[in-house]
Amino acid sequence: MPAFLLKRFAQSIVLLVIVSIIGFVVLNLIPGGPLAQFALDPGMTEADKARLAEQLGLNRPLLVQYFDWAWRLLQGDWGISFRDGNPVLTVISRHLFATFLLMGSSTVIAIAIGTWIGIRGATHRYSTFDYAATVGAMVALSIPTFWFGLIGIYVFSLKLGWLPAGNMYSIGDGSVLDYLHHLIMPSVVLALVHIAVWSRYMRTATLDAISQEFVKTARAKGVTERRVLMKHVVGNALLPMITLAGVQLPSILTGALVTETVFTWPGMGRLFLDSLGYSDYPVVMGLLMFSAILTIAGNLVADIVVALVDPRIRLA
Amino acid sequence: MTKFNKTSAGFSRRDALRVLGAGGAAGLFAPHLLGKPAFAQTPPAAPAGRIVVGLSQEPTVFNPLMPHIEVDDGVNFSIFDALFRISVDGVIGPNLASEVPSQDNGGISEDGLNWRIRLRDDVTWHDGTPFTAEDVKYTLELIVNPDFRAWRTTGHDLVRDITVVSPTEITWRMEEPFAPYLSFLTETFMVPKHILEAEANPNEAAFNQAPVGTGAFKWGQRLAGDRLELVANADYFGEGPYVEELIFKYIPDMTVLYAQFKSGDIDLVGNAYITPDNYKEAKDLADRVVTVEPKGSVESIYLNQELPVFKDQAVREALYLAMDRTAIIDALYYGVPTPAETFMPPQSYYYNPDLPKQEFNLDRARQILDEAGWVPGPDGIREKDGLRLSFNNSTTVGNHLREQTQQFLQQTFAEIGAEMKIENLPPAVMWGDFWGQSQFDSAMVGITYLVGGDPDVTYRFHTDAIAAKGGSGSNNAQYSNSEVDALLVEGSRTFDPEKRREIYSKVQEIIRHDLPFLPLFAYTNLYGRKAGIEGFEVNTNTRTESWHAAAWYWA
Amino acid sequence: MTTLTATHSPSRWWQSRVLRRFLSHRLALLGLLMITLLTLACVVGPYLLPYDSLYIDLRARFAPPFASDHYLGTDPLGRDIAARLFMAGRISLLVGFFAMVLSIFVGTLVGVIAGYRGGWISAVLMRTVDGFLSYPTIFLLLALAAALKPSPVMITIIIAVTSWMEVARIVEAEVRSLKEREFVLAGRMLGLGRSHIMFREILPNAMGPIIVAATLTVARAILLEAYISFLGFGIQPPLPSWGNMLNGAQQYLASAPWLAIIPGIAITIAVSSFNFIGDGLRDALDVRNDTV
Repeated sequence: MPAFLLKRFAQSIVLLVIVSIIGFVVLNLIPGGPLAQFALDPGMTEADKARLAEQLGLNRPLLVQYFDWAWRLLQGDWGISFRDGNPVLTVISRHLFATFLLMGSSTVIAIAIGTWIGIRGATHRYSTFDYAATVGAMVALSIPTFWFGLIGIYVFSLKLGWLPAGNMYSIGDGSVLDYLHHLIMPSVVLALVHIAVWSRYMRTATLDAISQEFVKTARAKGVTERRVLMKHVVGNALLPMITLAGVQLPSILTGALVTETVFTWPGMGRLFLDSLGYSDYPVVMGLLMFSAILTIAGNLVADIVVALVDPRIRLA
Repeated sequence: MTKFNKTSAGFSRRDALRVLGAGGAAGLFAPHLLGKPAFAQTPPAAPAGRIVVGLSQEPTVFNPLMPHIEVDDGVNFSIFDALFRISVDGVIGPNLASEVPSQDNGGISEDGLNWRIRLRDDVTWHDGTPFTAEDVKYTLELIVNPDFRAWRTTGHDLVRDITVVSPTEITWRMEEPFAPYLSFLTETFMVPKHILEAEANPNEAAFNQAPVGTGAFKWGQRLAGDRLELVANADYFGEGPYVEELIFKYIPDMTVLYAQFKSGDIDLVGNAYITPDNYKEAKDLADRVVTVEPKGSVESIYLNQELPVFKDQAVREALYLAMDRTAIIDALYYGVPTPAETFMPPQSYYYNPDLPKQEFNLDRARQILDEAGWVPGPDGIREKDGLRLSFNNSTTVGNHLREQTQQFLQQTFAEIGAEMKIENLPPAVMWGDFWGQSQFDSAMVGITYLVGGDPDVTYRFHTDAIAAKGGSGSNNAQYSNSEVDALLVEGSRTFDPEKRREIYSKVQEIIRHDLPFLPLFAYTNLYGRKAGIEGFEVNTNTRTESWHAAAWYWA
Repeated sequence: MTTLTATHSPSRWWQSRVLRRFLSHRLALLGLLMITLLTLACVVGPYLLPYDSLYIDLRARFAPPFASDHYLGTDPLGRDIAARLFMAGRISLLVGFFAMVLSIFVGTLVGVIAGYRGGWISAVLMRTVDGFLSYPTIFLLLALAAALKPSPVMITIIIAVTSWMEVARIVEAEVRSLKEREFVLAGRMLGLGRSHIMFREILPNAMGPIIVAATLTVARAILLEAYISFLGFGIQPPLPSWGNMLNGAQQYLASAPWLAIIPGIAITIAVSSFNFIGDGLRDALDVRNDTV
């Protein structure tokens, strides 16, 4: 077990290095740079910009900049945002809550509805419900998230006036109810794709579990169908879902970025887009690393949990 | 109307004040007495209520000397003070200084080199420490400190031998006469020496996230990504403040910004204001005041003068004739902006109203090209000496109105046999070397030419300002005309507004003839506020709606 | 083709069975029908409509659908939306198709080499795959789109760059399991070259999963194009794509909702068609593949 952990951990570190290199190279491929935002500033001259570039160390060779950045990161220094003047971690942490709130609530919705659809589909195999769920999931996966959001805004905000068209809360309100009111549409929109994914996986996993020997045994022993389902089938079916949860992390972030744009949600997705627009390298790199760490850690934890829970998987 | 008529018969009181102010003799007038409409109401005796300003970009830079954007300016103007303040009419009045130096009052020597500033003696920083000449010296020196990431340094880099004569008097010498410096000082906010001096690194000082100024509002708290709260400074030396709280609310989407104004969540629409497509609805909203106000910037097509096709005057003229500006302004921009012929904002004292008016005339455009020897090729695109009349046009991606304008122009240009290809870029790319080092063919941009209302445009049009040729300015069109060069140098060394007006009128005339850029229109902003807000004025000499929030109050 | 492949490759007999199973998959047939019609409309449609997709007529701006001979209405520049929709479909479908071709090519190449060679080559290749997969796709897409000048070709390449990894993983796993099979061992004993074994012997046997992945990659690529164009980093106007037709639509959501509704429906139809077909192919080829 320790050897397995060590190997996986070492692999993760290598991955992070690769991620950081790809990110750094791609970012620096972007012509322009953080000073481009001052191009139209009245009175600000090219000489001023050249001076600032020098002061910020932007005209050093790329390799030097990378090692400087990486060395600081190793020491826990994520750098300072060009635009904001605050440490990158502070900047990110300010947007963390909004994104996690959105991701969290949409994940809860997705798991709840997805699990229900999946199990019902598996236990009522080839029923109308099962077919509808299959087709529905595939269509849901085909709808662009942002478009679904736009349609949601059109129907529920502009036509019916039931839900706010954007933002996380109203100014001067900020009660829990107000937050929830604002949360409904973006989290449902974001959940749609994940409901589809979860329900498909859950259906497969449940079908697998139903065919297992111990389920048949339990059923033979006269345990009620409901109990069999809840205790044995769902318990076993949920196992692979843990892996899925880890793997799904980056795609939730992706969805969050687009959803946050449509609903003007003040989360990390918006921060990423803004920072990219301003070429705020430290923040963009910070977000890339942050999400990569999250993803890799998610995968790692999922692997370990599955290994610990499932005796059938031998750790090599 | 001839030029003579305008300057003699049409000379108004407003113009006179401008002359006085820009000349520096307006020290007698307190800035808030000028150009202010007569209100039925009077401000409250004590600050009351709060005003929420909605902004489409988030203010993030609170050290006013560091590089920042428009929305940061609104915060700076509220927390800090500069030595001088420019009024709505373009009159420079005293702020932290007790008078405006001029050659007449001896504050500026006859040769324009020696400056003496007298300061108020009743100003304190938000922490109670008195404001003195030492702070001014510290501020001016910090700007040119090579380790400090200062914003713009033009003008400041000419200042030498700063001497504190007394806590209320400071003198310095200029390396060369530079008339625009007075205007620059209206946007140079003073920072506290006693706080920043103690910091090891002014670039990363704690002050930069919790600024201490002398202004009408004190730092409250910042909820990053959402809002910034400022509170009234009860000990403010000047007029106001009349509201207890000033809140800058960040709403990253223009549609939502407007929606929140409509619903009353925000009291005042700040930068980037109401979008033109909402104007029709907005102006009839109940309990809202929505006004169209000029802005200091001009939208135009920049033509890179080094591109072979643009070297031909005929091409530039023909393209200008092929722009249906009326359609663009009326249909695409909902009639909100006004046509422009020059870089100078129409509300400026230095505006030349006698420039020839552009006309939309495709026949004339074709005729000019025919006469210049541009012959239509097999695909309808004109050619001359093997050169195709084809060029790219770039602007930032995601600006829908600009993209629509581009596509519209593309169609009319094609009708005269000119091919314009659209090549739009993300902002960081567009405004990087592509723009700075003039790598574009043509670009659609909105530019504010004047700094603090001063007409000096040397950094935009002087030959030495071409960065792509090693210059230090922002002459991105690579425009070069020796006559203009000479006039610009003369203008920056002349302190007398009358003489300067003549100089810059001539500059505008030549540039209108040469067409290094094709003016589309002068921008206007759609300001909106709740009906109860009084004391709000638009000042096109600044970049922000919140240039004087101290005067705002609820009636 | 050598006798060896003829005996060991099952490519002769599965075709008819696969076809039969695919044809009995109703959803897949529906997908095939929809995408054929849509493609046909995009190819022929522009010639049948009275308006050019690029013709600007400011007097006709914001015409609602079904009200005039602008059947689907007009956009803010008065251009015919029906004409633009079909022209956009050409771009979007072509971008989707070629992005698929590219990513299948790269993914297959990496997958086959990594799966067959194993050892450090596999380690390096597959860790790079993991590295790419560790990014939220959209981050990488946007960063690349910001760095490079957005043209249809460039967008295609960018989408391929962010889509080949899944294919590589699938192929690698498949090849790894195939390389110990008898026909491969036999080939090796016969002294066949390494690349011959990899691409002539193993690859044809791994075609099933690749075909399925290809279909799903087209669907994904069309979606990705829509995402980046919606955010303004993708296909640039005046060239229409389904994604950039939606860019800016939010602004007019209240006054001209058809600007948002129509292209979105087209995207959904196209993407679901490919997903339906992919599902049918997966069943027909009996590929157990949980990647969605």
